[in-house]
Amino acid sequence: MSKKFLNPADATAIVKKSIKKRRAKDSRLKLYGRFAVGLASCFLIFLFYTIFEKGTPGFFQYYVTLDVNFDKERIDPKGDLSDNSLFSGDASKIVNEALFILIEPKGRKEKKEAKKIISSGKDVRIAKMVKQNPNLFGTVTKVKFALDDDIDSFLRGYIKRETPENERRVNDNVIKFIDKLNAEGRISYNFSDYILSGSASGNPEMAGIKGAFVGSILTLFVCLLIAFPLGVATAIYLEEIAKKNKITEFIEVNINNLAAVPSVVFGIMGLAIFIGIFGMPRSIPLVGGMVLALMTLPTIIISSRAAIRAVPPSVRDAALGIGASKLQTIFHHVIPLAMPGMLTGTIIGMAQALGETAPLLMIGMVAFIVDVPNSVVDPGTVLPVQIFMWADFAERMFVQKTSAAIIVLLTFLISMNAFAIYLRKKLERRW
Amino acid sequence: MNLKNDELTKSINTVGDVFVKDARIKARNVNVFYAEKKAIDEVTIDIGNKEVISFIGPSGCGKSTFLRCFNRMNDTIDICRVEGSITLDEENIYDKNVDVVPLRARIGMVFQKPNPFPKSIFDNVAYGPRIHGLADNKSHLENIVEMSLKRAGLWNEVNDRLISPGTGLSGGQQQRLCIARAIAVSPEVILMDEPCSALDPIATAKIEELIHELGNDYSIVIVTHSMQQAARVSKRTAYFHLGKLIEVGKTKDIFTRPQHNQTEAYISGKIG
Ligand SMILES: Nc1ncnc2c1ncn2[C@@H]1O[C@H](COP(=O)(O)OP(=O)(O)OP(=O)(O)O)[C@@H](O)[C@H]1O
Ligand SMILES: [Mg+2]
Repeated sequence: MSKKFLNPADATAIVKKSIKKRRAKDSRLKLYGRFAVGLASCFLIFLFYTIFEKGTPGFFQYYVTLDVNFDKERIDPKGDLSDNSLFSGDASKIVNEALFILIEPKGRKEKKEAKKIISSGKDVRIAKMVKQNPNLFGTVTKVKFALDDDIDSFLRGYIKRETPENERRVNDNVIKFIDKLNAEGRISYNFSDYILSGSASGNPEMAGIKGAFVGSILTLFVCLLIAFPLGVATAIYLEEIAKKNKITEFIEVNINNLAAVPSVVFGIMGLAIFIGIFGMPRSIPLVGGMVLALMTLPTIIISSRAAIRAVPPSVRDAALGIGASKLQTIFHHVIPLAMPGMLTGTIIGMAQALGETAPLLMIGMVAFIVDVPNSVVDPGTVLPVQIFMWADFAERMFVQKTSAAIIVLLTFLISMNAFAIYLRKKLERRW
Repeated sequence: MNLKNDELTKSINTVGDVFVKDARIKARNVNVFYAEKKAIDEVTIDIGNKEVISFIGPSGCGKSTFLRCFNRMNDTIDICRVEGSITLDEENIYDKNVDVVPLRARIGMVFQKPNPFPKSIFDNVAYGPRIHGLADNKSHLENIVEMSLKRAGLWNEVNDRLISPGTGLSGGQQQRLCIARAIAVSPEVILMDEPCSALDPIATAKIEELIHELGNDYSIVIVTHSMQQAARVSKRTAYFHLGKLIEVGKTKDIFTRPQHNQTEAYISGKIG
């Protein structure tokens, strides 16, 4: 024996001496951890606070209530309630008349200015109302109309009275009209009809996120439909079936690298392949979904493989040992046990895809599309791209609507995650 | 005797009776490699009909490796390669056209660590009969499950909670569940790799009793580190050392008068 063992008393003394140092180290580490978590929470709270503070007004807008005379002859000249008939009618004029009664503009110039107070969607609104309820004909009914975005901004205080008239987007005449309407209690601040049910529009007061929302759902649907089965199948093949050799190793390395490729590259690829070679139309959710599927595939594959690897080998042995074939082992035991992990990866991938802008810009989903897409081959846009576009517009009202759209996007994301957690819990409960 | 390890490895030939009259499994000159490393070296042995045989030997000598040759579980290890021939009722199980699925239904296996499926007790036992289509209908399946659990001595403990998870049982119960699962497909041979190493003495005693009983109907190969266990459950014992089969014989002969000096060294506690 070259070195003697310490005698136990000495060893105890040494341990005791070092304990204080170790404790200090422990508590320091704990402190760092708490600090980091605290800082992160602060940022998160700050982020949510600002978004909600800025965004909530975006869900509301100013309306004026008018007494509209639903004259059947003038609104629906052909009397068949068809779009054709309704839009050849005099709805706009009737609304203007209802407004003029209240504010009494004098002369052509003032009348012209007065007309602009109300958003240009007024005739559409009248048409919608009589279609829903033809009994309105012949009555005089109170109807709320959205105010023009400049008026809205004025009422919110973004456009100030004190500003000289020639630098102001709302002139003195119009301010006079608004004061009149206000005095009569005609102006109200309500939940916006347009933000959730409208689509892209050049008129900020009529712009809404429905088109982008539906576009996002369709795109994600395509993405999920392609990426999930493909990703899971690839993961199963690589983990369970393929022999480990140079080729599979090469594939593995490449999949891991793909996960780190900037998303815009996938957009360029999608543009070149799907649109360039296969000649698919631009701006459609189908192509968007395929591009995003390419982007999320590596994430799904990597997390699915990790989930498969986490299935205890003893379960595989048990199944094989009793005479289950390889496929039976995979389908009866490995996949059910790995499913929660696979779903987690998929949701992370989907969440990435939901927030993605750059690759979709490449394939033209940034186009100005007024119609809500009805299918995956109708042109459409998605929420993040809509946000990106609105953020670029000059009108003050778009700023609020942008924040409102961000809230919708976040809500979408959170509910998606909540669903994933629910699904995982449900699957895991089968012990 | 005080032998060093390198002296012990010199002799090659197996001592004792490797052959039996009514052999079901015949292993002839089996070599197993993990990549380039030889784990089993020229092993020849018979396993008789309705015979309980123990494999003993120091850790790492290849008992598990050799056991896993009988139901081709070694196939699942990419780098593992088996040479030589192993026949079950005169049919070479390593033949190209042999399907491992029916083979593994005929040769069941119980693993060292209890490994019930994360499913209900019923589904654990019913899984084998289900995938092999052994039951004609639901009541037949229930019957098979009940019989298997009874044979495994577990029925009285679980009959009121067949739908609760198999993983919620105690270690000893789980191992008996695994035995029930193995016998539910009516195998001819049961391989057990240290089935009691994770269990307490009472659970061990139960399993040993069970092995003893099952020995009346099945050929059983059991790997064990406990010489007392080998003595209690098996009629024949094979002693392995560094991949070689050193000695085979009646259990009581091996333990009372071993012929080979390595066997003697092992059972008297000098190696292993
Ligand atoms: N999957 C494997 N890959 C490579 N080598 C292996 C593998 N499994 C076993 N071996 C090697 O083969 C030899 C025999 O191993 P084996 O597991 O059969 O021993 P054993 O007798 O069962 O030991 P123990 O009593 O500890 O279970 C050992 O040297 C071991 O390192
Ligand atoms: Mg072993």
